[in-house]
Amino acid sequence: MPGAAVPAEREPGTGHHSSVVFADDQEWAAHLCAFVRDGLARDEEIKYFADTTDPGRVLRTLGDAGIDAVAAERRGQLSVSTAAQTYLAGTGFDPDAMIGLWYDAVEESAARGYAGLRAIGEMSWGARDIPGADRLLEYELRIHQEVFERLPLTAWCFYDRRLLPDDRVDVLVGAHPANRGGPVGRPVLRVTPLTDRPGLRLSGSAGYDTREAVAAAAAAVRGMPTARVELDLAGLRHLDTASLATLAAAVADRPAGPPLGVRHAPPPLRRLLDLFPEFGSAVEVLDR
Amino acid sequence: MTTDSLMNDHADRLAPFFHPALFYATEDEYLDGVGGFVRGALDEGQDVLVAVPGARLKLLKEFFDGEHERVMWVDMTDAGRNPGRILSMLQEFADRPGRDARPVSIVGEPIWVGRTPAESWEATRHEALINLAFEGRGLSILCPYDTALPEEVLAQAYRTHPVVGDSAAYRASARYTDPREVCRDCDVPLPEPRDAVVLAFGREDLARVRDEADHWATAAGLSPERRTDWLLAIGEATSNSVRHGGGQGRLRLWRADGELVAEISDRGRLADPLTGRRRPDPYAPTGGRGVWIMHQLCDLVEIRSSAQGLVLRLHMSVK
Repeated sequence: MPGAAVPAEREPGTGHHSSVVFADDQEWAAHLCAFVRDGLARDEEIKYFADTTDPGRVLRTLGDAGIDAVAAERRGQLSVSTAAQTYLAGTGFDPDAMIGLWYDAVEESAARGYAGLRAIGEMSWGARDIPGADRLLEYELRIHQEVFERLPLTAWCFYDRRLLPDDRVDVLVGAHPANRGGPVGRPVLRVTPLTDRPGLRLSGSAGYDTREAVAAAAAAVRGMPTARVELDLAGLRHLDTASLATLAAAVADRPAGPPLGVRHAPPPLRRLLDLFPEFGSAVEVLDR
Repeated sequence: MTTDSLMNDHADRLAPFFHPALFYATEDEYLDGVGGFVRGALDEGQDVLVAVPGARLKLLKEFFDGEHERVMWVDMTDAGRNPGRILSMLQEFADRPGRDARPVSIVGEPIWVGRTPAESWEATRHEALINLAFEGRGLSILCPYDTALPEEVLAQAYRTHPVVGDSAAYRASARYTDPREVCRDCDVPLPEPRDAVVLAFGREDLARVRDEADHWATAAGLSPERRTDWLLAIGEATSNSVRHGGGQGRLRLWRADGELVAEISDRGRLADPLTGRRRPDPYAPTGGRGVWIMHQLCDLVEIRSSAQGLVLRLHMSVK
């Protein structure tokens, strides 16, 4: 893990990785200004990674709200860049590389004496045909455990409803421990990081139609840096064999350790484990 | 004791694959024919699977004076309630790990008095598929047929078994027919339901279809435990339609005489009639995993594959 020497400097919580859903410029501006104002007050470094928004407009919007963004930018506390110039500048989106970049950025921020790092990322590129964009959900699911539980980092992921389809927004927002924006619909399958232990909560209905979300969940399970990983399936009504096989195969790819612990196993999972005892080496029902 | 006469067919027993139909009318004939077959296999040191209806199972167990360590006893009315899952059980027994090189013997009685016509057709299909699945294998599968069964069922036994006989002797069946042709003949027209709920679906509708099938089955009185099986089976069938059946399909749901029926039709086809008849690798997305699951979970699966497409009828008792 790059920069793993950086210690966690505060209690982990649910508010450090939030989604922010908005549908017009006023909502966007309100969230932006609140975030930056709070960061300046806390003496934190602030980074804005734009996608479609002109960086100059970000600074003007802050200035119009009475925030001295120009001065903050001049002294290096605030930076506005684009995803295309930064983390998407290479061959596309790579969750592993991105996680490494967060460690580097937090380390640099601490070296410059800031109390922490906070960042806004416009995520609308996730709807475009960018290599690796299909791994965005995997990334959102992974970073709670791999980044936010370990670093003094606050990040708001901006989801603009005008630029992303509703069903995709619903799924992606579900991957955040908190949503500070407008209401979102309930996706067919919602995957959310557990906040009290390493693991995921799956709710809704998992089938062939949700295989991409299941694959992202499996990738998150595969990457979790702890020996024990759990799934909370209390809200899962349906689970098909292919989804279970995807999750079980991810466990097989992990370093040797205990099987994936499942709490509140729904009836279809129990039935599938009866039919296919082979899954038992990868998945263990904890509350039989 | 007619065991001796059976064993006079020693040459047949040692043929690469021995699949006789045994016709019996009385318990004595049953014990002579089936009991003698099992005794002969045990005398040769073979492992034996005996999968017959419960009453016959009791008879045979008494005949062998309790459990025999080399015999696996299975009530076919339970394990083989859906004829489509019997072949998987037989192959699992024949292929189970750790078995020595000796051939095995199996008694499989898939049709008994009381089977519905739909079940009997699928059981006849199963009998034909045995010949495909075990072609060239060194094992024996004896299939007892009660002569009280309907004439048309008994007639099919002559087509699905290369060898037929009674407790006295076996002979080659002159009416033995290519298994694929028998399977085609089993594709008898399915009766149209009177009041079916119809749900057309594509990829985007799979979750809605799962939920609607759940609500419908709840209202129809299916127990929670069986509803789990029902939804797993329907989920496999509908996702197969989207994956292999032209991207969409039609689900029909109806009640019929103490059972619920889900029919999934699409533009796919079942190229290999043995699909789903062998325990799959649970991690493999292909290889008949979905169809195998349907067979395991449902009380009956009717399959009709034609140039027009594939129709699966999944039956689930509400009793």
